Amino acid sequence: MSSMSDKPEKLITDDGLRLDGRRADEIRPMKIEIGVLSRADGSCYLEWGRNKILVGVFGPREAHPRRMQRADSAVIRYKYNMASFSVEDRARPGPSRRSIEISKVSREAFEPVIMAELFPKTAIDIYVEVLQADAGTRTAAINASSIALADAGIPMKGLITSCAFGKVDGQIVLDLNKEEDNYGEADFPVAMTQDGEITLMQMDGHLTPDEIKKGLELVKKGCKEILEIQQAVLRKKFETPIEETVEEVTDTEDTGNKVVEAEAPLEYASEAAVVEEALEEAEELEEEQLCEETVETDALAEEIPEFEELEDIIKEAEALVEEDTVEDVVEAEIEEEALEEGTLEEDALEEALEEEALEEALEEEAEFEASFEAAPEPEDFEELEPIEEEVSSEVEEVEFDSEELAYEEAQLEEETGIEEVASEETFEPEPEIESETKTITEVPAEEAVKAEVEPEEKKCEGPWKVVKDPSESGSRGENE
Amino acid sequence: MSEIIATLKKDYIYNLMIKGKRQDGRGFKEFRDIKLETNIISKAEGSAKVTLGNTQVLVGVKLQPGTPFPDSQNEGVIITNLELNAIASPDFEPGQPKEDAIEMARVVDRGIRESGAIDIKKLCIAVGESVWIVHIDVHILNDEGNLIDASCLAAIAALMTTVVPNEQYGIGTNVPLAMKGMPVGVTLAKIGSKLMVDPSLDEEAVCETKLTIVSSSDGSIAGMQKMGPVPFSEAEVMEAIDMACEKAAELRGLYLKGLANKE
Repeated sequence: MSSMSDKPEKLITDDGLRLDGRRADEIRPMKIEIGVLSRADGSCYLEWGRNKILVGVFGPREAHPRRMQRADSAVIRYKYNMASFSVEDRARPGPSRRSIEISKVSREAFEPVIMAELFPKTAIDIYVEVLQADAGTRTAAINASSIALADAGIPMKGLITSCAFGKVDGQIVLDLNKEEDNYGEADFPVAMTQDGEITLMQMDGHLTPDEIKKGLELVKKGCKEILEIQQAVLRKKFETPIEETVEEVTDTEDTGNKVVEAEAPLEYASEAAVVEEALEEAEELEEEQLCEETVETDALAEEIPEFEELEDIIKEAEALVEEDTVEDVVEAEIEEEALEEGTLEEDALEEALEEEALEEALEEEAEFEASFEAAPEPEDFEELEPIEEEVSSEVEEVEFDSEELAYEEAQLEEETGIEEVASEETFEPEPEIESETKTITEVPAEEAVKAEVEPEEKKCEGPWKVVKDPSESGSRGENE
Repeated sequence: MSEIIATLKKDYIYNLMIKGKRQDGRGFKEFRDIKLETNIISKAEGSAKVTLGNTQVLVGVKLQPGTPFPDSQNEGVIITNLELNAIASPDFEPGQPKEDAIEMARVVDRGIRESGAIDIKKLCIAVGESVWIVHIDVHILNDEGNLIDASCLAAIAALMTTVVPNEQYGIGTNVPLAMKGMPVGVTLAKIGSKLMVDPSLDEEAVCETKLTIVSSSDGSIAGMQKMGPVPFSEAEVMEAIDMACEKAAELRGLYLKGLANKE
C-alpha cells in the first residue's frame, strides 16, 4: 500500500512468525473491563494489542432534537472519536471524514441486532473514544460497544463481534498490527453476528477472490475466539449461580471436557482440522443439551399455567417472522377489509388488472396495489385513508407483540444459558469462575481476568514477545 | 401517508423480484444504459460525465503543485471529494457533506488509490518539495440511484483523459497523466437473498443494503464496502464478488479500453 523507507524487510519470518510473535491465525491479546463509567448506562474498556478503547452507552433516552425521533423505533447513534493524542502525529480534534465513515458503518453493524423497535421515540447513543490507536480500532471499538450495549441492558438478538484480516508479505493473516497495516497489501475489517452473518465489511488493498474466501474463513475463527472472550466477561459480571438446576443436568461431563479441549488455542495450523471436528462435535452435543432444556422448560410450564399458551404464541410469531409473512398477512387483511367495505370500485380493479398482468397466485394483492397505483378517484382515496390508518396501527400491534414475545423468549434463553454454565462449573476441579474462564478461553481470557487487578503496563504481555514499536510514522489508516 | 405508499411500492418491487423481474424490465445482471462523455470541461485537466439511466455524474480533475506528505516524499497526492448537490435530489441539502457523501467519496477514492490506478511516483516534481496534487471532484447532478458506480466510472474516465499541465507552471511540456490500471466499481443491491447490479433509486429504497466492489483489470479486488443494515452471508459475498468482477470486465471493455487506446 504505502511505500516508506523504514519498512521492515520482512513482516513474517521464515518460520511463519509475525513481528509481534504471532502466527497468521492468531489474534492479539484482548482484555475487556465492563462497567467502568459510573454515569453511563453501560460501558466497556477494551485493550487489544496496543489499542485502548473506551465505550459508553446511553439510553434508551428521549431523542433530541425531536425531529430525529422515530415513531416506530429507537434511533441508534454511534459516534467514533479519536483522542488527539491517540496517534503518533497529533490528530485534529473533532470528527474527521474517516471517523464519520467509521461511525456510519459501525452503526449499521449493530442495527440488525439491537431491538430498537421496543423503544419508539428514543435514542440509543454509543460513544466510542479511541484513547490509543494501533491498527484495527474500528473492530476493537465494535467489540467494546457490543459489551457496553449488553452492560446497558439494551435488548439485542446477539452480540456483534469484529475482527480484520489482511494480506502481509503475500500471506493472509488475522488481526493486523500497526506495521502490517502500514506496509501490508490489504486490510479487510469484518463484523458478524453470532451466526456468522456479516454486518460490517470494508476492504482496501489488493486481494483475489480466492484470498477473500480464505480470509473470511480465518476471520470467522477470529470472531469465534473474540465471542468467547466477550461471553466470558459478561458471564463473570452477570451470572448468579442457580443451585437447584445443578442436579438436573445429566450427561454434560463429557460435553464440558470436549468443549474445553476443542477451544484450546491452536499451536500448529495442522491441528486446525482436528480442532474443527471437535468443535463440531461439541456443537452437536450442545444442541442435544438444548433439547434436554426443553424438557426443563416443560417442567416450568407446570408452575406457570399460562406458559404453554405463551409458548404457542411465541411459536406462531416465530413462524410468521421466519417466513416473512407478517406483512403478507397484514396485506391480505387490508384487501379483505377493503373489499368487504366495497371501497374499491370494480372499474379501478379491472383497469389495474389490465395494466398489471400478474400471476394468479398474487392476483388479489396485485389488484389492490395496482389499483392504488392507477390513481383511484379522489373519493376512493379519502375512503381509503382511514383504513390505512387502521391497518398501520394493526401492523404496529402485531409487530410489538411478536417482539415482546421474542424478548421474553430471549430472557428464557438467558436463564437456561446460565444453568448451563452453572452445571459446567460443578464438574470443574475448582469450581471458581476464574479458573473456568481460564480454561475455556485460554490466553486472552486469562488476560482479561488478570489485568483487572494488575497495573496497566503489563497488559500487553502475551505468551508471545511483544516487539518494541518501530517508529510509527506511517500515516495510513489511523492518523489520516 | 408517504410511508404507506412507500410500503406498497416496496411490496410491489419485492414481489416482482420474487418472480425474477425488475421494475424497469431489466435482468438482475443488467446495467441501465450508460453514456460516457469525456473532456467536456475545458478548464479542467480532465473531465468525464457519466449518464447511467437518469443518474448523472460529472467528474472534474484538477492538478496543482503542492508539498508531499512527509512519509511519501516522492509521491503525488490524491484527494477525492464528492458532493451531493442540492440540485440532484429534493432530499439533498446544501452545506457540509453528510456521512453518505463522505462514505461515497471515500469508496471512490479507495478504488482508485488502492488499485494503483494512478502512477503516483511519476507525479513527483522535486523530491520532498513539490509534487502534483490530483483533486478528483465528483459532482452528482441527478440522483436516480447507484451513484457510486457512476462516480467510479466517471472518475477513472476523467483521470484517463487528464493532462498534466506542465507548461502552465513552466516545468516542461504537457503529458498525459500516467495510469496503471482501470478499477471499476460495481454495486450490488441485496433484495431478499438475491443480488442485482445497478439498483435504481426505488430499488435502493427497497433493499436498504448494498455492497460495492471495486475490481482491477487483473480481476483482483481493490476495495469493498457494505452499506446498509442488512447482513450478508459468506456465500452471498462470494457470489457478489463473482458478479461484480464479471460486470466490471464488461464495463471496462465497453467504455474504458477505448480511452486507453487513444493515447
